Amino acid sequence: MANVLDLRRRIRSVKSTRQITKAMKMVSAAKLRRAQDRALAARPYAQRITSVLASLERRIEVLDPKTGNLRHPLFATRPEKRVLLLVVSGEKGFAGAFNTNILKAAFHFLAANEDKEIDIEAIGRKAREQMRRRYPAAVFVESTEENPADGSPLIRRVRSRKARVEVTGDHPGLLEKLTHDQIQSLTQDMIARYVHEEIDACYLVYNEFKSVIQQRIVVERLLPLIEPGKHQVTEAIEPSAEERERAAEAAVSSGVSLTPEDYAEADAEATKFGTAEVDYIYEQPARELYNGLLPRYVASMLFHALAESVAAEHAARMTAMDAATNNASDMIDSLTLYMNRVRQAAITKEIIEIVSGAAAL
Amino acid sequence: MATETNQLRVRFVTPDHVLVDEMATAVELPSKTGYIEVLYGHAPLLAELGAGDVTLHGAAGGHARYNVSWGFVEVLPERVTILANDALLPEAIDVPRAQEQLARGQALWNAAGDSEEAYCEANRVIDEAHAKLASAAHPN
Repeated sequence: MANVLDLRRRIRSVKSTRQITKAMKMVSAAKLRRAQDRALAARPYAQRITSVLASLERRIEVLDPKTGNLRHPLFATRPEKRVLLLVVSGEKGFAGAFNTNILKAAFHFLAANEDKEIDIEAIGRKAREQMRRRYPAAVFVESTEENPADGSPLIRRVRSRKARVEVTGDHPGLLEKLTHDQIQSLTQDMIARYVHEEIDACYLVYNEFKSVIQQRIVVERLLPLIEPGKHQVTEAIEPSAEERERAAEAAVSSGVSLTPEDYAEADAEATKFGTAEVDYIYEQPARELYNGLLPRYVASMLFHALAESVAAEHAARMTAMDAATNNASDMIDSLTLYMNRVRQAAITKEIIEIVSGAAAL
Repeated sequence: MATETNQLRVRFVTPDHVLVDEMATAVELPSKTGYIEVLYGHAPLLAELGAGDVTLHGAAGGHARYNVSWGFVEVLPERVTILANDALLPEAIDVPRAQEQLARGQALWNAAGDSEEAYCEANRVIDEAHAKLASAAHPN
């Protein structure tokens, strides 16, 4: 039987663990609120781009006269032979099954597309570690040619594919501080690969997050675009009712609201952008305007997805830390009970000894 | 004279937030094909913005100037909404970085070879850097 001193020490240790998990929960709750605010602040821009695109689409100039389809190369659909997969995970652990679930969805996607060549871009440290461990990095061979114009050396990078699935890049630190510039360059890279037919489609695996109780892991197709303003979700994993309930409990106890933010008013304002019932003067041809906007639209979609994923990560951590705090409390209770019992047993034993000693006199 | 009735409502929306939402008498915009100035009652217009300065005249906070590298604007008779990917006050421009960008743009231009796309990209980088430097040279 453990002695009272040992038990007291263990209780103290569990108590300090509880303090840490509680602090982590509160920090995550604060970060979650901030991430939600940021996602909210990004909405007016994204909404306006979407609505002006929709309005420009009504103009005849952006359509191909032969097929009646939109003319931009991002709308060109090809049979999917080479696919780019962006995996958006968390930066850190201690977030319950958050990272595991995303990676599971990514591996499921890879298994379901065995006949295709897949390039992986890992966003978030956890995805990077896992993907790097499992799949080889893409190899680029540099060749130097002479510039036909002035004879200066020109360096060309040529991809030499060794395996079916390769990691073409990762983006450490991108999620820690989401900046539009970085996402812009990521998008440009993605679009360039698509336009040069290095890839035939681009998918994104991430945790969609409307609110603590409205979230799911989705596989979404970013490219080719079919209809701007619509998310092309090809696969979704909803959390179980139990998980949702636990998340809701954690949110309530840390003061995070359960309902998604109300954007209705701001959105109504944003949808008016570029859609007034008037004859606009187009400073540049409508088609040029449209083509200039499309990459921004893709970037704003990506930004939106990453912002939601960051919020989801904090929410997952908050839930996990809430559960850990509750478990620690339960453990303290049962250890305290046990300690009292042990102490009582020792006292009883001593009394018996005294009483039986007295009786022997 | 500026009155309540002939002022424009100017909104400046960046990817992160709504930067400006105020009344002004005139707005100067760096459209891709050259600067335009918008007054109250302007005909409806849609335009893509290139690198340059957006200037608000007669705003409540006084004269304000922002450097943008890309944007999109909708002009309605009483309202101007600007979407821009970044908007910097001239004081906030990092001059050494802009110079670096200029050097990078020139390097790209030299390395572009006969690729039209690379030239366009290099020109864009150079234009952005020039616009930033010009903007930083004249603080508000």
